[in-house]
This record gives sequence, structure tokens and C-alpha cells, in this order.
Amino acid sequence: MFSRADNSAGFAVAAALVLFFIGGVLTTIVPPLVDKSWSRPAPGLKPYTEIQLKGRAIYVREGCWYCHTQQTRTLLADTKRSGWRGVDSPISTPDEFVYDNPHMFGTKRTGPDLSRVGGKYDTQWHRTHFRNPRDLVPGSVMPPFPWIVEKPEEFTALVAYIQTLGRSKDWRPDKDYER
Amino acid sequence: MPESSAAAQVVKAPVTPATAHTDTTAKWFLVSAISYFFIVGIIALTIAAKFCWPELLGTVPYLSYGRLRPLHVNGMLFGWLLAADMGLTYYIVPRLCGVKLWSEKLGVATAALWNVIILGAVVSLLAGWNQGFEYAELPLPLDVLVVVAWIMYGINIFATIARRKYQQMYVSLWYFMGTILWTAFVYLVGNFAVEFATGTNQANLNWMYVHNAVGLIFTPIGLGIAYYFIPKSSNTPLHSHRLSMVGFWALAFVYVWTGAHHMLHGPISQWLQTIAITFSVMLLIPVWAVVYNFFATMKGEWHQLRESVPLKFLMSGTVFYLLTCFQGPMHSLRSVNAIVSKTDWIPGHAHMAVLGAFSFFAIAGTYYIVPRMWRKPLYSDALANWSFWFIMMGGLGFFVTLWLGGFWQGWQWNNPAIPFIDTVVALKPVWLVRFFSGCLIFAGIVAFAYNIMATVIGSSGKSETAAGAVVGGEYV
Repeated sequence: MFSRADNSAGFAVAAALVLFFIGGVLTTIVPPLVDKSWSRPAPGLKPYTEIQLKGRAIYVREGCWYCHTQQTRTLLADTKRSGWRGVDSPISTPDEFVYDNPHMFGTKRTGPDLSRVGGKYDTQWHRTHFRNPRDLVPGSVMPPFPWIVEKPEEFTALVAYIQTLGRSKDWRPDKDYER
Repeated sequence: MPESSAAAQVVKAPVTPATAHTDTTAKWFLVSAISYFFIVGIIALTIAAKFCWPELLGTVPYLSYGRLRPLHVNGMLFGWLLAADMGLTYYIVPRLCGVKLWSEKLGVATAALWNVIILGAVVSLLAGWNQGFEYAELPLPLDVLVVVAWIMYGINIFATIARRKYQQMYVSLWYFMGTILWTAFVYLVGNFAVEFATGTNQANLNWMYVHNAVGLIFTPIGLGIAYYFIPKSSNTPLHSHRLSMVGFWALAFVYVWTGAHHMLHGPISQWLQTIAITFSVMLLIPVWAVVYNFFATMKGEWHQLRESVPLKFLMSGTVFYLLTCFQGPMHSLRSVNAIVSKTDWIPGHAHMAVLGAFSFFAIAGTYYIVPRMWRKPLYSDALANWSFWFIMMGGLGFFVTLWLGGFWQGWQWNNPAIPFIDTVVALKPVWLVRFFSGCLIFAGIVAFAYNIMATVIGSSGKSETAAGAVVGGEYV
């Protein structure tokens, strides 16, 4: 039947669109309707505050997400690497990310995953690290971000955002979160 | 499919019509595309260098890695490759239809608008106006301009096809029509629909766009170009019309389902991951149909590669297409994905598709049509040959080290006893090789761009190697 497309541009167009839309609709519109966890916030999930949103915008602007993912995948190694002081991290679930816009899941891990980094390091650590990552982590290839540290309002906002990451799940039994 | 349709009949290579083409639009698109290829190549080298020397330009916000990377990606995808592909279609479509382009004025306006978009992208991305969606970083006003430009492009191509003199449409024309239509929807999803979603739902739309930006924009337009230039440059009929139909319709159906394979093992429904994996594996069908068709067309004609730079690019591009589309299905399998996902394997894979396959096709087309459009011989065949070997060697160095390095990195990540920073330090030699491979690729880009520009600007007939540049001494 597709041989009609040889001579009829109209048929070619119609067939190409029909085939495309079958998969297009079933994989974009249907899944969120079927799987409600995509849109239902996790029990411990709070909307971002104004300062956290400001910090998040800096995270987007500086392209942090090109090198840091935000997903602890269903892999044993991921739960160990996202863990802290011997406690394995819970895996990431869609309901933790309902307020994320734009999403920051990422595709590339040049640096470590940040899905559970919230509460791991204190403000002073972040200040030193952003000024020059190699002062704290020898061998790191992260670029320095002096222009963020030098603007206290930007730095405070960014750290406020980072400390939220992964916190909707209260996963550390000792509650030893840094603020 | 009725047997009468085309029982494995051999379709003739598209014939050159007698219509006089002005090609103003194609010329403008190609010249600007090649300029961006060169300029963005410098950006590419800079970010590759930053992996080796992270302090490089480290105190300048506008030149930090996080801002140059989207400029590299968008500049190469939209400034170079898509613009070059569009330029080539402005040349091919009128010839396959046996009529003039519907409107050169509209075409030149499209080229001008496209340049406005790319320059706008440079300014906004360096300033950090980044929407935060991969491949869709450009701010909304520029997205709107892209849509306008795409409509202008679509009108021109469809109007030309509607007035065609030859009833039967060569396979390239289906691919171009498909590209224009699918892109319209894929682009709207990736740049506008995402604004109305959050979290996993948004990511799903984003990956649908990211995957299909390659799969339903660069793949069909690139294959359409290869379908035209392989028979043309080798002066051989296409092997099988029926096989080209299998490839096209399988692509139309299969590609769009695969977006969720970007989030395998991630926070997205398992059943959707499984669907994405299933269809990713099915991609082998359209890919192998196309690749077999290209190889079979060259049967008995491989000796022509020795003399023809366009054929060198076309056929090695086909090999890279085969390889990259074998990797794709394989690393969408959960077991393989657990190793290679998020590693440096992925940029190796992506570069083989966009540089190794589709940029090779675009470069081949450019080498083929520039002497014909400007009606003068190519500046230097020897330089063209050098440009091939530079890009080929640099590309291989780039791809192979990143696969090996990425695989190694993935194994290390899967052993939590290894501290993360040790897996970073381990990759440093890989990144150094990648940087020097990038230098080779860039040398090839310079040779290519200089050769084309010297042909365009220089006076005709000066070059001593000119005689062999145009087959049979014809410039048409």
C-alpha cells in the first residue's frame, strides 16, 4: 500500500504523519495519564521557596546540569554512591520531582550525581569548593565559579537550592543533615 | 504491498533536468553553514581543552564550560548541520522535481532569518539565557523565530514538490517531506509543550524531542541527502527502490517511541522504559535496510572511492551510521545501559552520529554541489582529500577513545569501592586524546572551509588540480 507514496505527495504526507502520531501520542500524552505518580508530589516534598528558586535559576544558567545528573537510578552502585556515611540512598522516584521546572535529571556524569547531595556539605565547604574545586577535591575537573561566590546573594541562593536536593525523602536515620 | 509496485526494480539515478537553476538560497545557506562550522569548531576545541585544563578561561563567566557547551551543541546542530542540510535540499529538490525552486526570494529571506537566529543564540547562550532543556536551550523568542523559519522553508519545499514535472517522487523527496513535517511537531513538543509540564512528565517530553531531533530531523534529511548523492557521485543507479521504502516507513513508525531510553533505570515508569527499549532494538530494521541499499549501490563501484572525495565521505559516513545505530539499540538494553549510560561513551556515540554520519553526508554534498553551483572547478582536490583524512582520523580517535574510556568509566562506577574522584582522574588521559583528536578534526574543518571559500571567492580555472574536479567537464 505504501507504494502509493511514490506518486502522491498527499498520501506520503498523510501516511508519514499517521505512523508518527501513533507512537508520538502513546509515548508522550498517555504515560502521565496512566502513571499518576508523575504528577502527585511525594509526601515530604515542599514547593521551592523564592530563594531556592533563585538558586535553581543559577544552577540552570551556569549549566551545572551538563555534568551533574540528579537521579539515583535503580542500580546498586548508584544507591551506594548517593549514600552517606554507610547509609544507602533510596532510589529516585518521579514524585520527588513534581515541582522541578525545568527538570534537571541530566544525561552526563562528569561530576558526581547530585540527587541526594542536599545536607551533605555545609555552606563553608560550598564556598571554598565553588571558588576553586581543586582546593577541596584534588584531581577535580570542575570549573571554578568565583563570580558566584563574590555575589553573596547568588551564592546563598545557590546553596539554599543545593541543600534541598533529595531531601523530600528523610533518608538518613541520624538526621545529620547540614543546613 | 502489491507486487506490481516495484518488484525489486532498479531505479535510475536521478537525472539532471534541463531547467536553469539559480541556487541563490542554497548558496547562502551553505556559505553561512560552513562559516559556523569553523567558528563553532573553535568553541568545540575550547570545551575539550577545559576537560584537560579546568582553569582555562576559568574566571570569565561568559566563557565557562556551562555556557560554551550549549553554544557548541546548538551551533553545530543548527548553525552548521541543519543549515547545510537545508542548503543542500534547496539544491536537490528543484532538480528532482524538474522545476525551479518555488521562490528564491522566500529562500533568501529564510537564510537571512536563520542567521539572525544563530547570532541570537550566540548572544543569549553566552549570557546564560538558557532554558535548561538539552538541545532546546534557546530562549522562547528565538524558538518562535525557528518555527517561522521552518514554516518558510516548508512552504518553499512543498510548493516546489507540488509543481513537480516528474510524477514519481524519488526517495529523497519523501525523506525531506517527512523531515519538514515531523520536525514541526517534534520541535513544538521539545520547545513549547515542555513549558506546560514539570518533573518526569517534562523530562519525557524533553527526551522525546532530544531523541527525535536526531532521529526525525537529522536522520531523514541526512539520509535523503545520501540517497541523492551516492548514486549521483558514483554515477550508478540506486540498488533497490523497495528497500528504500522499507527503510523510510519503518523509520516513520519506529523512531518516535524511543525517547524514554534516555532515562533507563531512572525515575520513570518501568513499562515505558521497556517500550522504549523494544522500539530502540527495532531501529535496526530501518537502519540496515538503508545501509544495505547504499552498500549494494556501490557494488562493483568501490574503486571510485579512490578518486572521489564526496564518495569517500558518503561511504565512510554510511559505515559510521551503521556503527552508531548499532550502538544505539545495544546500549538501550538494560544490562549494557547500566554500564555506559551517563559516561563518556555517550558523547562518543553522539559525535559519531552527528559528525561521523550526518556531517560527512553534508560535507560530501557540499563538495559535490559547490563547483556546480558556482560553475567553476573546486579550488583544490588535494586539499579536499586532506580534509577527509584529517576529519576521519580525528573522528576515529575521538570516537574510539571515548567508547573505551566510557566503558571503563562505567565499570568503575559500578564498583562503589572506587571513590568517584578516582574515576574522574582515570579519564584524564582519555580527555587528552580527545582534545588532540579534536585538533585533527578542526584541521579538517579548516581545510574544508578554506577549500570551499577559495572556490567561491577565487577566480576560476587557476588551480592546477582543477581538471578532475568536475566530472566530464560539466558544471551542471
